[in-house]
Amino acid sequence: MNSFPDLTSFSLESVLTILGMAAVTYGMRLGGLMMADRLPQHGRWAHVLERLPGAVLISVWVPSALSAGAIGIAGAAATVITMALARNLFAAMAVGMILVGVGRYFIGS
Amino acid sequence: MSRPTPAPPPTKMGHFAPETIRRGAIACLPLLPSTIIFGAVLGVLASQRGLSLGELLFMSLTVFAGSAQFVSVDLWRETVPAATIIIATAVINMRYILIGASLRPVFRGRPLWVKVCGMHMVADENWAVTMTQENLANPGFLLGGGIFLGVVWATGNSVGYLLGGGIPDPEVYALDFAFTAVFAALTIGMWKGKVDLLPWVAAAIGSIIGHYTLPGTWSILAGAGAGVVIAALTWRDDMDDTSPEAEYAVDGRQAYGAPEGTLNPEVGK
Repeated sequence: MNSFPDLTSFSLESVLTILGMAAVTYGMRLGGLMMADRLPQHGRWAHVLERLPGAVLISVWVPSALSAGAIGIAGAAATVITMALARNLFAAMAVGMILVGVGRYFIGS
Repeated sequence: MSRPTPAPPPTKMGHFAPETIRRGAIACLPLLPSTIIFGAVLGVLASQRGLSLGELLFMSLTVFAGSAQFVSVDLWRETVPAATIIIATAVINMRYILIGASLRPVFRGRPLWVKVCGMHMVADENWAVTMTQENLANPGFLLGGGIFLGVVWATGNSVGYLLGGGIPDPEVYALDFAFTAVFAALTIGMWKGKVDLLPWVAAAIGSIIGHYTLPGTWSILAGAGAGVVIAALTWRDDMDDTSPEAEYAVDGRQAYGAPEGTLNPEVGK
């Protein structure tokens, strides 16, 4: 390892690797939009596209709540219920995070 | 499709209006503490793996995808395993194909350059916040959130890298749960009616099965895939969305949108 802190050294292989990572990530971001643009604006595909954000979002947080154990599942449930009742993002996040933080402190994760 | 008769007159809107960018940034404010802490944790990890701070910041602003960066930096060695890292990044970030596709209404009717510029700073967080806006979402709003998260993320990286440790464990303050919480809460805002019920249940079941049977982030694709299949199977002719959002600026080259507060999402339902 170089002398620490190593602020500005750029090795060629690092830069190329990072550019490769950036290219595949950006390519998928823009590519997804461009593919969707080619789908019809009405009918079955439009209906599927409208359901897509909810399906992706659920698939992101449900497994991570499971990974956080029973307290994570309880925290996610509390967050969803608070949001449904109060319609306030700050409040919903606070309820879930406080529940998980306090739960971990007293029960352990 | 017949346009709803009392439709408000379309107003020409900017693509990246400063005011919209500012609002997008503010909307992502609740994510500041957890983003900066996780940014710092990545900074510590990068300093241990032999990346320079410059390389890390370069990665954070060009790749801009937290979970893929964690895995990649963790794989980093003196001789960089470039192919492994790029393949891992592609697999973890595959969900961005779906996220990009779901952004179609945000970029509807806008020129190519707006899409090219607007699609880079898209993370899960500012995407989810943008998709749950009540009024027609705007690429500027999306970009504002992305710029905010990017600055906070890079700041966290720098702090962690320079401190080289001593970062509080995110789990102690449940900061790791902030991402779960924000996505869970925003799901409520995406509810458009009972047509969502079956696809959402399918997504939940698919992602749970994926979580227990598949490695890494494949559960996201399993859940989203299940949701898409069920959405396609449950579609009927009479389900077409004729709300003003769906009808606006579908044709032509000009971008139109409702000025804030004038587009009632209930019209046309």
